[in-house]
Amino acid sequence: MSMFTPKSTSRPGPTFLVRGLATAALLTLGLTACTSGGAAEDPGASPAANGGSGPVPGSVLRVNWGGFPESWAPGAEMEAGFLRIPYENLVALGADGEIEPVLATEWEQTDDALTLTLRDDVTFHDGTPFDAEAVKVNLETVQSTPGPYAGPFQVISSIDVVDDHTVKLNLSEPTPSLLTTLTTRAAPMASPKAIEAGTIAQVPLGTGPWAYDEAASVPGTRLVFGPAEDYWGDPVGFETVQLVAIPEDNAASAALANDEIDLTDTETNQFTTLDGTPGVDRLSYPAIRNNPIFFDRGPGGMFEDVAVRQAACTAIDTEVLAKLEPDWTVRTQHFSEGEQGYDPDIAGYTHDAAKAQELYDSAGNPPVDADMLATVFNENQMKIYAEQMGEIGMKVTVQSAPPPQYFSEWNSGKYPLGLGGNDELTPFDWYKAWFSADAPGNPSGVESDELKAAADAAIAAGTGDEADALWAKVTKIISDEALTCAHVAGEELLAWNTTTVTDVEAPTQPWETNLVNYRALRPAS
Amino acid sequence: MGKLVAYRLLFAVPQLLVISILVFSLTYLVPGSPAAAMLGTSATPEAIAHVEAQLGLDRPPLERFVEWFGALLTGDLGTSFRAGMPVTDLLAQRLPATLSVVVGGIVVALVLGVGAGVFTGTRPGTLADRLVTGGTVLGLAIPEFWLGLLLTTVFAVQLGWVPIVAWTPLTADPLAWLRGLVLPSLALGVTGGAIIARQTRAAMVTSMSAPYADTLTAAGVPRRTQIARYGVKNALVPVLASTGVTFAILIGVSFVVEKVFALPGLGSLMLTSVIGQDFPVVQGVVLVTATLVIVVNLVIDICYGLINPQARPQ
Repeated sequence: MSMFTPKSTSRPGPTFLVRGLATAALLTLGLTACTSGGAAEDPGASPAANGGSGPVPGSVLRVNWGGFPESWAPGAEMEAGFLRIPYENLVALGADGEIEPVLATEWEQTDDALTLTLRDDVTFHDGTPFDAEAVKVNLETVQSTPGPYAGPFQVISSIDVVDDHTVKLNLSEPTPSLLTTLTTRAAPMASPKAIEAGTIAQVPLGTGPWAYDEAASVPGTRLVFGPAEDYWGDPVGFETVQLVAIPEDNAASAALANDEIDLTDTETNQFTTLDGTPGVDRLSYPAIRNNPIFFDRGPGGMFEDVAVRQAACTAIDTEVLAKLEPDWTVRTQHFSEGEQGYDPDIAGYTHDAAKAQELYDSAGNPPVDADMLATVFNENQMKIYAEQMGEIGMKVTVQSAPPPQYFSEWNSGKYPLGLGGNDELTPFDWYKAWFSADAPGNPSGVESDELKAAADAAIAAGTGDEADALWAKVTKIISDEALTCAHVAGEELLAWNTTTVTDVEAPTQPWETNLVNYRALRPAS
Repeated sequence: MGKLVAYRLLFAVPQLLVISILVFSLTYLVPGSPAAAMLGTSATPEAIAHVEAQLGLDRPPLERFVEWFGALLTGDLGTSFRAGMPVTDLLAQRLPATLSVVVGGIVVALVLGVGAGVFTGTRPGTLADRLVTGGTVLGLAIPEFWLGLLLTTVFAVQLGWVPIVAWTPLTADPLAWLRGLVLPSLALGVTGGAIIARQTRAAMVTSMSAPYADTLTAAGVPRRTQIARYGVKNALVPVLASTGVTFAILIGVSFVVEKVFALPGLGSLMLTSVIGQDFPVVQGVVLVTATLVIVVNLVIDICYGLINPQARPQ
């Protein structure tokens, strides 16, 4: 059996070669082990732990996510690690996956509307009261901002300010996932005054425990968030959060060892350096989901026959990917246990070359000669899958494209097969994005009657246990029909200085890159 | 001399015009749609079309170029698709770091390059010449990225002389600014220094072996005076030309070096803008860097004319 064996690791591409060279060189010179041990010089960075009673005066958390947001405006694409400092949402996802109150205390959802009751004791960092009008301005801003978050809010046909602390979102169609969407990066609450003034893009003004300190910040280098006055919520551990931007992983590891930062995101190629640095610990959590999708499954399409799709899925061996790239983990289905849409009966497609060949033979071996668009960060993965599908006689050619072209075209219908991120948090969103007949990710426009009936029933059920069970059926049908398969999850890797910060936890908000549970963090003693 | 300046300034105008046309045209050659890149993977064709209309991308190219160029003449480079702020503001935020490190790099390159070139060019064939010339080969071979990491590890992590996150704007603290520039300038300047050193060496060897050198020796002019007053001056002509090229190279390389030293320069802005197909920003960055190169070469040409009267237009 021939097997493609790429030499690069998790993020293939030219940068990676340079990183690899640099790391190898540093190791060769024996320099990486000679680190400072994290002796804290900054008095503010290492105060005594406060036991969770409130921020320790003078405590500073220095975090590196490798960059800064281009815009802080609601609706602009922004990593959660930035957003969760000054901003809060109306609701949040708890550790158990349940929706929890934040700025909204109660809610009621029907097919036609979502009505939210808001807290009455919250003000934005500029003193503007948080109220129903502010929610309306924020959500309308997201709706009208060109960006990835506008789409899910187009179902809101209008927003009524019922009273100062009650807002009603009128829906053009039943959208059971809307409340979940309100927990995400798509819906931070920013000062309506700053939105209307047009200053919000550069000066974030939210309701969170840390307020942007423009005077203390150096744009592009260090952004400082000090304690918000009269913060309404639970006390946090650090008084101040500083964001720095060290995009290069070796430099970030060195900064961590040098006690210049307390916490950073990192990559697997840094493990040797980090593990050899005293006072540094690390964790990982699943953050990115991706899977191949068969786009050309319409009449006469290469992947029209379910047996062909099942054969391809059975030919793919995701374990090979996981061995080569340790920050990927193999999964059997899109949703995790505890998430809506998870079905314990979904076994997925385990690699079995003989069975794959049998399935392909049973379909009559229709010719599969498919192009697949790849870019620097997923080319290796695609080549592995293409090689594996080639073993049963399917010809899959991986075409490399620069990221802009990849993002524009990989799921446009030009290619019969694609591989990309599926970041939908609910089965409703996942179904509507990729599998319903009118889904943008379903260019062939076909959907089985069974899938449609199951999805319609799940949508009609709204929310609750019955809806959960019905959505599990939907995801089972998607798996059985092999509309997608070979699910893998990319891990986000965090490293921190244990001499300056404790209680580092993965975020409760699932499937977010570059994030930590800021509120749990405490200064180390 | 005035003629030379006028001639070069006049020549810069069509250069900038051609560059602006090229820069604008490039956005049409990039495959993919900025709207699709902004909206993400699950955008509908209708949503993409709507955003393209919002951004004016659905209008004819000529109409867009005329509007863009008209605005450009007034100093308006448009608004970033993604940041939603004027491109000129974004460039104003990022240009100081890039300019600082490039100027720092060229200073390092000139000091190292001219120093090493004069040293080796005045003693060709000696052991010292071979050692230093061998060093310049090493300087050319070392990737700036790797050198930056090495400098960081030694001077920031091991010795603790400078922080890794060291950038401070000049206006905030000139000393801290200078301190923060030392390592990036070294990382950037070594390769440029090697290029200039080799040019200088060759020019010095030619200069010091010219017949006038024998005349000066016969006239009893001390060797040091020959080198300082005549040799270096004559050797500077080709060195100046290579300095202009080196400056252009350093701008490109600074985009890599700024990543190692977490400098908020044009490189990271360019990278995110290219990936996000934020065309107004890409156009702005390319235009600014091209203008910088043209301006520097203009200055070098003028200096060239000052040193060498034969280079002045007749």
